[in-house]
Amino acid sequence: MNQYAYFFGCVIPNRYPGIEYAVRWVCGKQGFDLDVKDIPEFSCCPVPGIFYSTDKDTWLTLATRNLTLAQDERREIMTVCNGCLTSLLKATEYLQDPKAMGKVNRTLSQVGRKYTGIPRKGEGTRRIFEPVKVRHYVEIMTKDVGFDAMTAKVTHPLKNIKVAVHYGCHYLRPTEHQTFDDPNDPKLIDRMVEACGATSVEYEDKLDCCGAGGGVRSHVVELANALTHDKCVNISAAGADCIVTGCPFCLLQFDNAQKSFSKDGIPVMHISQFQALAMGIDTISLGFDTHHVSVHSFLRKLRGA
Amino acid sequence: MGEAEKTFIGGLHEKLTEDKVIDESQLDPDFAKEITKYGGKDVMTCLQCGNCTGVCPISLRIDYKTRIIMKYCQFGLRKYTLGTQWVCATCYRCYEHCPADINPAEVMIALRHIAVREGNIPPFVKVAATNLVMYGQSVKPDVEIEKIRKELGLADVHSKDPEFKAVLREIRMIVQATKYDKLIGIDTEGKA
Repeated sequence: MNQYAYFFGCVIPNRYPGIEYAVRWVCGKQGFDLDVKDIPEFSCCPVPGIFYSTDKDTWLTLATRNLTLAQDERREIMTVCNGCLTSLLKATEYLQDPKAMGKVNRTLSQVGRKYTGIPRKGEGTRRIFEPVKVRHYVEIMTKDVGFDAMTAKVTHPLKNIKVAVHYGCHYLRPTEHQTFDDPNDPKLIDRMVEACGATSVEYEDKLDCCGAGGGVRSHVVELANALTHDKCVNISAAGADCIVTGCPFCLLQFDNAQKSFSKDGIPVMHISQFQALAMGIDTISLGFDTHHVSVHSFLRKLRGA
Repeated sequence: MGEAEKTFIGGLHEKLTEDKVIDESQLDPDFAKEITKYGGKDVMTCLQCGNCTGVCPISLRIDYKTRIIMKYCQFGLRKYTLGTQWVCATCYRCYEHCPADINPAEVMIALRHIAVREGNIPPFVKVAATNLVMYGQSVKPDVEIEKIRKELGLADVHSKDPEFKAVLREIRMIVQATKYDKLIGIDTEGKA
């Protein structure tokens, strides 16, 4: 069985603890009982919209520091956020270049760390080093756990619920990364939603950006909100009861932006929270109080009231 | 949308129509090279096909057209390109659709590198960098959320562990070694 290390990033522990609870619950004894461990020394990935954008050397060194921690534990990184995924995955790709790796290791030697990759036995006595694996929660669920196991664990199928799935840009692009889903026609989160007993509705411009990425939310929130508005119009038109996404930053954007243009808004949650609901978690544990858009309408419909 | 447009694009279009004649002194022939230095591809190979603008979610909304930015980069019109770089959402749609394989999103990231080195540092970059140095996270811990974490039975965030001080020390040393603290203008003891 694969061994993983949780990588929650910044937004989940400090803004949406309910997602953290859901992920731990789904991966824990009550759920799929995966071999997954906390590495408390992980720092920010660091966020690509800030650090990758302003100084690539600093970004790569900080990202590699995180990678060395997983390397020393011989574990795959399980990211629950698209931003962390793209930042760490890109770092492993940069480190394929021996020159880049040497430069980073020179800086890291000052803090007593070294990135080599995870050693595996090659032919004869040769050792080969594989890059640290960085994987998204959705990838681990669909590829390692599998749909059959997921369906078997659904005790409270979320019938009659219509879901608008939002993938988020860095789940899909750039395609120069190894992609685990079809970037032009992604299906995995839709299929996870269907496995939970709900219906995933199609809507216009499904693969469009939420508007928050790359520092746009921090720089001009009006512009980010305008993009979210466009998405929400399309999602409403499809009659969705909630938005399900694999990225906490997209979630944060949908959750906060909707206040600026609508009174009620469409409830939004992370795929792990949605999954946990179908697996019979107590809704109180999902930390919906921290969501700005109330999920009551969704929960009412779920209970068939 | 009008207000937002004014604040960040700085009336890119307006400025260009104001001084219609661009004299040679405004052109920087080395600008394309500078962009490649920070990881962008050669903008001179841009075909000006406009695919990037067609798929850009931001171009649809405001007076920011990726193709035009690429053109200005070719001319080396620094003044007109620097200032637009932070409206890119880095969604990488332009990259997927670029027949010349330029990756305009990476060009925008190179422009951010250049702008920051010219001293044009947006406040949120400083905030995030300060948070990283102080808490090891780009998002500042929140007291209310910490209460909810307790209610849920989750442990405190790792940045609260006494052992996390060692992590912060490492981060500080890395930031100092790459001179990021000087570049962004943050105090590594934590003050912006």
